[in-house]
Amino acid sequence: MTFEIAIGERLRTVAVTRKGNLLHVDVDGRTHIVDARRVNDHVLSMLVQLEGDAAPSRSVDAALASRPVAGDFDVHIDGRTIPLQIRPAGSFGRQKKDGAAAGTGPQRILAPMPGKVVRVLVKAGDEVKARQGLVVVEAMKMENELRAARDGRVRDVSVTEGQSVDAGAVLLIVE
Amino acid sequence: MKKILIANRGEIAVRVIRACRDMGIATVAVYSECDRAALHVRMADEAWPVGPSAPRESYLRIDAIIDAARKSGADGVHPGYGFLAENEDFAAACRDAGLIFIGPSPEAITLMGSKTAARQAAIAAGVPVVPGTEQPLSDTASDAEVLKVAEGIGYPLMLKAVAGGGGKGMRMVATPADLPGSLRAARSEAQSAFGDGAVYLERRIMSPRHIEVQLLGDHHGTVLPFVERECSIQRRHQKVVEESPSLAVTPELRRRMTSAAASVAKAVGYTNAGTIEFLLDTDGSFYFLEMNTRLQVEHPITEMVTGVDLVQWQIRIARGERLDLDPEALLRPIAHAIECRIYAEDPDSGFLPSPGRIQGLRVPQGPGVRDDSGAYEGGDVPIFYDPMISKLITWGDSRDHAIARMRRALSEYQVRGIRTTIPFFQWILEDDDFKAFRFDTGFIDRKFGKEPLQVVDAVHEDLAAIAAAVHLFTKPVANHVAPAATSRWRDAGRIEALR
Repeated sequence: MTFEIAIGERLRTVAVTRKGNLLHVDVDGRTHIVDARRVNDHVLSMLVQLEGDAAPSRSVDAALASRPVAGDFDVHIDGRTIPLQIRPAGSFGRQKKDGAAAGTGPQRILAPMPGKVVRVLVKAGDEVKARQGLVVVEAMKMENELRAARDGRVRDVSVTEGQSVDAGAVLLIVE
Repeated sequence: MKKILIANRGEIAVRVIRACRDMGIATVAVYSECDRAALHVRMADEAWPVGPSAPRESYLRIDAIIDAARKSGADGVHPGYGFLAENEDFAAACRDAGLIFIGPSPEAITLMGSKTAARQAAIAAGVPVVPGTEQPLSDTASDAEVLKVAEGIGYPLMLKAVAGGGGKGMRMVATPADLPGSLRAARSEAQSAFGDGAVYLERRIMSPRHIEVQLLGDHHGTVLPFVERECSIQRRHQKVVEESPSLAVTPELRRRMTSAAASVAKAVGYTNAGTIEFLLDTDGSFYFLEMNTRLQVEHPITEMVTGVDLVQWQIRIARGERLDLDPEALLRPIAHAIECRIYAEDPDSGFLPSPGRIQGLRVPQGPGVRDDSGAYEGGDVPIFYDPMISKLITWGDSRDHAIARMRRALSEYQVRGIRTTIPFFQWILEDDDFKAFRFDTGFIDRKFGKEPLQVVDAVHEDLAAIAAAVHLFTKPVANHVAPAATSRWRDAGRIEALR
């Protein structure tokens, strides 16, 4: 089973195959051997032999939390929280391998939390610059301005001022 | 007191329930619509609804809360902190309804709640306040008059609107030449924001520390101060990390600060738990800032370094007991303690609130760790209230020991499904200046945001990618694997045979 995984700016291709009781996990051509036990639906205990690693049986306790968008997870490992996006192979398409996985294609501006849209700062067709404010959502008595990740043109504005939105709702699209 | 109603929610309601249970006192929770399944409701002996989710319609409804107390037959009310804790009308309403309010008198709340009256009380008790003008300077005072007053205070100084708040109408003035321009700006800002252009001048303390003294006062005239808390690590004037004791306070300074705090409280006949806040200058001079007439969020660090349960003492004082603690012991810390306030906010996105469902929770454990929390796995963090979900406290026999334990505890702590300020605290605790105790109240403003909070190396990225792929590959099925059918009789027979 092969996946594409985006972490920050980097895209990895990861293939998993079962070999007896162990899993062979190929990450961009390097093969790591994993003894995985499921602790519960969201937590894995893994003993990992990374290819070429000096510590041959690293104990890794990994917990996964799903984000509002399907296939987006926060992975908790070693006191760190690592957000990533995992998709079936080929999903990230023709994007450059070590280019920005999130650096091209339309940006979907999502509500990060349930709340109320208090202001829409742009309209369809507007040219926007990176970091420009697009929409203001109020939650927990605080106003939060959502901004464009990079330059583009506003395509669809799916919300109006005063509207209540759920976490993960698409507010507008910039392409 | 046989039964106490807790007029609050979240971790502090849970904290008070625990103190009551330790004392064999029954507990009554109140809850808003969205809090029906909140931890404080689940833990209490009884729970009564007080209205819709918005605080104004529930936790701030004095009538609804008094009504719940009547219906439940409670004889005492603990207000926690926030909501109605410093509302003199609520304290008076409890008294009028024949309920014991576990806190100071309504009169003390009123007096110390006014910044200017509290300042006067401190001056009257002989406690220094930040040097400044006692009387406001009206908006008709000439530049020359204001310059003359400023000369008596010294530069740099702060120009503040009398009606001010939120930084509006506030200017730092470095030299006399800057004064007229700053005065015009502050006045016009204050006029448009508050409809009052009056200002006053206060000396600017350049690198202050925020030091506070916890007090308990009983109804028999005894006021006892505790070893200080160091609360200089603040973000937007909100404390984020607190510790006790402060390495900046010598035993001699401690004696002076704690007795100054106690004399202010005594002078106003203060009872129950309260805290006096001071600014501490680099030269060792300290100035009264304000008094908090309630239990503080950060009270657990004082509990861990003195062994005193402050909430239990609040209850004991309220039922008329004498404070029979050893005053000397309260000033001799038996440990060093640190607290981090864990918020449902995403520090990587400008501290955007991150409410929602907690999909998974792993709470740190082991030596020297305490987690005062209102969260549980499967529970929701609602959007209506303060986003603090827990307070993580660690302690050890030195500051370094407490810090090492806090780093360990933070790495164990997982709050999954929402974003929290845990990475922010990991960043603070890695900072060399923090570790070396070199900081003042400007620490976060100066340092935060200049570097990424967490640096994730390629190996950990690989491991995260492996975990995600293995997670989907081994797709969890409901109920995992059904347990094999076994016979307990047969097991018992085998165990018997092994004896």
